[in-house]
Amino acid sequence: MHGIKRKEWTKELLRQKRVQDEKKIFDYRHLTDSVLNLRDEKVYSTDALKKTSELLERNPEFNAIWNYRRDIISNSSSELEVSFWDEELAFVMMQLKHYPKVYWIWNHRLWVLKHYPTNSSMIWQTELAVVNKLLELDARNYHGWHYRRIVVGNIEEITNSSLDKEEFEYTTTKINSNISNYSAWHQRVQIISRMFQKGEIDNQKEYIQTEVSYIINAMFTDAEDQSVWFYIKWFIKNDIVCKTLDKQEYVKMLKELRENILLINNDEIEFSGKQNIWCLKMLLVLEDILEENGAFTEKNSEAYLVQLMDADPLRKNRYQSLLKNHR
Amino acid sequence: MSGLSALLREKHIRYIESLDSKKHNFEYWLTEHLRLNGMYWGLTALCVLDSSETFAKDEVISFVLSCWDDKYGAFAPFPRHDAHLLTTLSGVQILATYDALDVLGEERKARLVAFIRGNQLEDGSFQGDRFGEVDTRFVYTALSALSILGELTPEVVDPAVKFVLKCYNFDGGFGLCPSAESHAAQAFTCLGALAIANRLNALNHDQLEEIGWWLCERQLPEGGLNGRPSKLPDVCYSWWVLSSLAIIDKLDWINYEKLTEFILNCQDEKKGGISDRPENEVDVFHTVFGVAGLSLMGYGDLVPIDPVYCMPSSITAKIKKYPYK
Repeated sequence: MHGIKRKEWTKELLRQKRVQDEKKIFDYRHLTDSVLNLRDEKVYSTDALKKTSELLERNPEFNAIWNYRRDIISNSSSELEVSFWDEELAFVMMQLKHYPKVYWIWNHRLWVLKHYPTNSSMIWQTELAVVNKLLELDARNYHGWHYRRIVVGNIEEITNSSLDKEEFEYTTTKINSNISNYSAWHQRVQIISRMFQKGEIDNQKEYIQTEVSYIINAMFTDAEDQSVWFYIKWFIKNDIVCKTLDKQEYVKMLKELRENILLINNDEIEFSGKQNIWCLKMLLVLEDILEENGAFTEKNSEAYLVQLMDADPLRKNRYQSLLKNHR
Repeated sequence: MSGLSALLREKHIRYIESLDSKKHNFEYWLTEHLRLNGMYWGLTALCVLDSSETFAKDEVISFVLSCWDDKYGAFAPFPRHDAHLLTTLSGVQILATYDALDVLGEERKARLVAFIRGNQLEDGSFQGDRFGEVDTRFVYTALSALSILGELTPEVVDPAVKFVLKCYNFDGGFGLCPSAESHAAQAFTCLGALAIANRLNALNHDQLEEIGWWLCERQLPEGGLNGRPSKLPDVCYSWWVLSSLAIIDKLDWINYEKLTEFILNCQDEKKGGISDRPENEVDVFHTVFGVAGLSLMGYGDLVPIDPVYCMPSSITAKIKKYPYK
């Protein structure tokens, strides 16, 4: 159970609930038994399908019933018109609206789409619209993002084209509307990696420079939020950036980031008298990379670690362990 | 915040004991699909609380056997439901905890092993059942169950390890499949699978540091842990995150005192049990992962729990270590 407030049950409330539940339990168990009996008798009729709908509306977590439903459909699939499959999708949609976090429903939707009689990009385009809508309502929905990757992959396969540019723009839109949308930052990493791998970017150096400006901007927008910092950590260490830029350009970029981070940290000290812990954590990473590239002499790592122990006490032991490795 | 400062051990034992007597609640029937998992969570919580005898062993074992799905040859969550890897592991865990795997008999055991192996796909991943849902959760459940049964083989383990490593992300976390976002529960399933396969050495020093970093950043100022950046804390991550840190030997990278305080504040001081967050409704899932987290942190005299199997260490000590000699 997640996010449900504890309730004070008085004797009277308990009595009322018991009375109401008695009827509900009777109906539910009766329905469950009748559906399971149909299943055991291998009945694969339209009526049986309707009964599974009724039961799943009451309990969308009942996976054995989703299984039976699929068996019913599979057994009559040769006779089923396109309109049947559309109705099935509509039924699943209703379920998802009520229960967007139930694995079995997402699973069933994918199964239906996989068996849909015509394999056109149209149905997947519709799915893209569906998942867009869902991610508008809950921008971090884990299932939603997972589903989106599957949908996009299918469209790309059927149309034999790449949606990377559109998907990259999509992550930008999501991040711009909420900079803490880590799911979108994660997706951005996937897309950029792919675009570079597939050679989809004409001017790679320019692309990286634009991205540097984007993340500096993001860093200034919300320096407290770890999403952008995890992204930066990836950005400065990954092969794409290291190999696209020559060493001089790479070091220049690292120094530019470093200066901006120092700036943010100084602002924070002036404003609140405290260091920004994420600035310190990233300065540590930057120093190590600069050193590896022979571009750094003055090291403050130990000082940063000591400051972090004080400023970020929850993770004190990690800093202690890093300090030991540094010495 | 109620500011509870001690573990209400007796209350939790009574709460777990009472779970099967709630048949007059509609919710009891709506959660049939979780019953076998629920039994495992309840029994494991009781073990950690050093009160395993609270459940009647014979009744639990016969319930487990009543969940056997003879059509597919594995465990369903409830009689007449369908077999699935998730519930199959719970069934095996309960029997192993009771040192009662023998009740399976040779034939059932062989079918069970065949069911698990039969759900492995070409890329090394596992589907939960015949309908094709893939998730690193199922890699873990498959390997864990086979390991408890002493039935791991290189044919299963090697591709599974390969798949798990593909789920490692740039940030030091693991996703439910390659290119999926990092999630603390998936860190547990992936690291647990690697530990069972004795392949943690497939991760290099830098990766282990990154994993530890991502995991310890799950702790929030209020002490609780979240499952992903910018999400709310939740007691169940006291298990997913802590067990993962324990597996890579960085358990103390989070603050014990603050996390302990958070878990204790999620106790229902009236009826027992632990909830996801303070003041929320309790359930057996959060109760087991709350007490299991406390056990990992060495709280009080709780019975030690194994971070890889989420079962008492005294039980898992008997599991044959892979690779088999």
